[in-house]
Amino acid sequence: MIAPPDAKPPVIKPAPPPEVVLRRLFLKLFLRGRSSRGLRKSTTPQSIASKLALTLAGYGFFGFIVALSLMGQPLFTMSLCLHSATIVFLGMFVASSAGEVLFNKEEADILLHRPVAPRTMLWAKVRVLVEVSLWLAGAFNLAGLVAGAVKGDGGWLFPIAHALSTTLEALFCTGGVVVVYQLCLRWFGRERLDGLMTTAQVVFAVAIVVGGQLPRFLMQFHGFTQLDVHTWWVSLLPTAWFAGLDDALAGSRSENSFMLAGVGLAATAGVLWIAFGKLAEDYEAGLQRLAETVSRPRRQRGSRRWTDVLVNAPPLKWWLRDSVSRASFLLVTAYLMRDRDVKLRVYPALAPIMVMPFIFLLQPGGGRGSGFENNFGVAFAGAYLGMVPMLSLNVLQFSQQWQASDIFRVAPMPGPAALCNGARRAVLFLLALPMLLIFALVTRLMHHDNSALLLLLPGIMALPVYALVPCLMGEAVPLSKPTEEAKSTSRGLKFFGVMMISMAVSGVAYLASATGWFWWMMLVEFVAVVVAYLGMRAALTRLQWSPAE
Amino acid sequence: MISVQGLTKRFGAQTAVDALSFEIPAGQIVGFLGPNGAGKSTTLKMLTGMLAPTSGTATVCGFDLEREPIEVKRHVGFVPESGAVFESLSGLEYLEMVAALYAIPEEAARARIRQFIAFFDLSFETLTDKLLGAYSKGMRRKVVITAALLHNPPVVFFDEPLDGLDANAAVGFKALIQTLAREGKTIVYSSHILDVVERVCNRVIIIDKGKLLLDGRPDELVAAHHSGTLERLFTQLTGGSELERRAEDFAKTFRP
Repeated sequence: MIAPPDAKPPVIKPAPPPEVVLRRLFLKLFLRGRSSRGLRKSTTPQSIASKLALTLAGYGFFGFIVALSLMGQPLFTMSLCLHSATIVFLGMFVASSAGEVLFNKEEADILLHRPVAPRTMLWAKVRVLVEVSLWLAGAFNLAGLVAGAVKGDGGWLFPIAHALSTTLEALFCTGGVVVVYQLCLRWFGRERLDGLMTTAQVVFAVAIVVGGQLPRFLMQFHGFTQLDVHTWWVSLLPTAWFAGLDDALAGSRSENSFMLAGVGLAATAGVLWIAFGKLAEDYEAGLQRLAETVSRPRRQRGSRRWTDVLVNAPPLKWWLRDSVSRASFLLVTAYLMRDRDVKLRVYPALAPIMVMPFIFLLQPGGGRGSGFENNFGVAFAGAYLGMVPMLSLNVLQFSQQWQASDIFRVAPMPGPAALCNGARRAVLFLLALPMLLIFALVTRLMHHDNSALLLLLPGIMALPVYALVPCLMGEAVPLSKPTEEAKSTSRGLKFFGVMMISMAVSGVAYLASATGWFWWMMLVEFVAVVVAYLGMRAALTRLQWSPAE
Repeated sequence: MISVQGLTKRFGAQTAVDALSFEIPAGQIVGFLGPNGAGKSTTLKMLTGMLAPTSGTATVCGFDLEREPIEVKRHVGFVPESGAVFESLSGLEYLEMVAALYAIPEEAARARIRQFIAFFDLSFETLTDKLLGAYSKGMRRKVVITAALLHNPPVVFFDEPLDGLDANAAVGFKALIQTLAREGKTIVYSSHILDVVERVCNRVIIIDKGKLLLDGRPDELVAAHHSGTLERLFTQLTGGSELERRAEDFAKTFRP
């Protein structure tokens, strides 16, 4: 058929620009995970999007409790507290996701030979990080927005102002992570990127947790009512800059509020300019580094590896008599030391655990004092140690090389018990023990006598039991699950439960010590731990392989 | 079409590619050979803009690799050895994403994808419904080859493209690249399956330890070295002699 002469040519829909394509791609990858196991498209989004919905609901509930507790405070104080909490979990989220999103090794073979500028790729990734950050921040601050709107010194402008300041905060946080990575690249070179990325992420995670706790910590000295935009040290806190924006637009509108808001805007603009204007070109160099496949020569050729020396000498030689446990111990040790993916998951996750007991120890009156008085912080630090093996084992089960774990099932083993035992001992020896020594040292330095150290004992005694919990839940076979399954919200709930138990144990220990029943409590705990440990070990030994998918 | 002058890549003290130079005109299928760790993949990664050379220059389709990397990337297709894909995308989502990165309009991309599906005997339902993580290795390889050719590039680099393909798909693929070369495309084909290289390629470049060892027509090289086959020539050049005797000796160690 011949088309009429006035017929318009068919409209060809042009392809969307690369930045849009990449943003859609990275968001999809974030929500679905980077790898899948035989899933169909129709069922995949449930796996992570439904977990995300649960996470958002959790954040919403948590934000509701926080907003409720701050209703009686002045607007600036309320906003400062909301921003402080927001920056902690935004920072944690960005720091833990940045390694996988910004520098993904598998991505190099797929995208680096496509005609896309590095800046475009970086910007698309950052947009996804900011977008997801804002979902989390939005859920957490939802109740706060309403609370600010109905407060006497707030008003209808508060939700708008707070939404704006939270967006700036998310940009500041994400830009900050990008700057840290880019500076590492620029200053230390591509060869050392792997190690530096882990360090940078840990430092960022610690800085965020400390930074987020700082206002609360300082407020305990000043008291809520004395805290306002005129308090001199407030201008040093990034969270106060964003709270200043809320106060300038919807609160007191004082000169200091505008000054803080100005600092916040300038700092965010500065961070973004450095991240995307000055340093974006280095991003390609980082990605290229990941595309390099040539292995680096071993540093100590000819000499025995220190891990071999370690496991062949007492006490580890006695502790790792079984060959499978020993192999599992060495595998976990190697990945904790060498694998970028595992290091980026384990150490930033452990960093806040490392910091929280110090925050308790350093609180006004929280950890200082003599004898057993006022020592809840010490007891808490000890009980909190239980989190270390639990979290580490949980995180160590995920790896980009999870398919290699088929070898465990091919090997003649009835169940995962020996593998779990090796992994459990590795995290106890390499992670929990050094942390215990650090806590003990800090406690000793702060108290100038040994009596406070006793309060670490209830936590230490429970460590073997805590370490067996992930094993029995089938979560301690190392490197056996794909990484996207690590984005589980139930883990947060489990650890919340463990934290509550830790708090309870430390509370009981503190009360027992204050009333002279400490050793009786220790005796009861010892019996309970021995019974629980033996029962759990027996159950673990009987554990069979779960069906392979 | 491809011009390489003194291309070098060092990783610290290790030299992966050492002052490599060659020219490849349009329409040639060049077998790019070398033992493991010879520097083949590193060279291909440099020529596709994935790795920056330490020194030396290269132009692809007249575009300088260092000054115009995006233009180079626009004119090449690459099938990496890893066959990596985003496993949580369906095949169609993946191919449409790749097409969009080369600014191919959606309709045109779909039409071209359908052509490839028909060629590779894939079902459209599989491509739309199943995620790439659930594909067999061969199906995944077909998707990666499709992704490399979607934008109709004048130069295509293949790094072990037959890995995972079944016999029928491999035969079809070999016919495809020969036809593409006749149409004027330049094909660089890196593989360890030397009898295929001998049959398909009209020129081979053999490298070892990053250095160029031989460059020429396979039949002429085999004749000049009196080796009989390209495989024998390759083992002679790269120190792989006495392999059969060594294998026999090793197998004897398994005797009870």
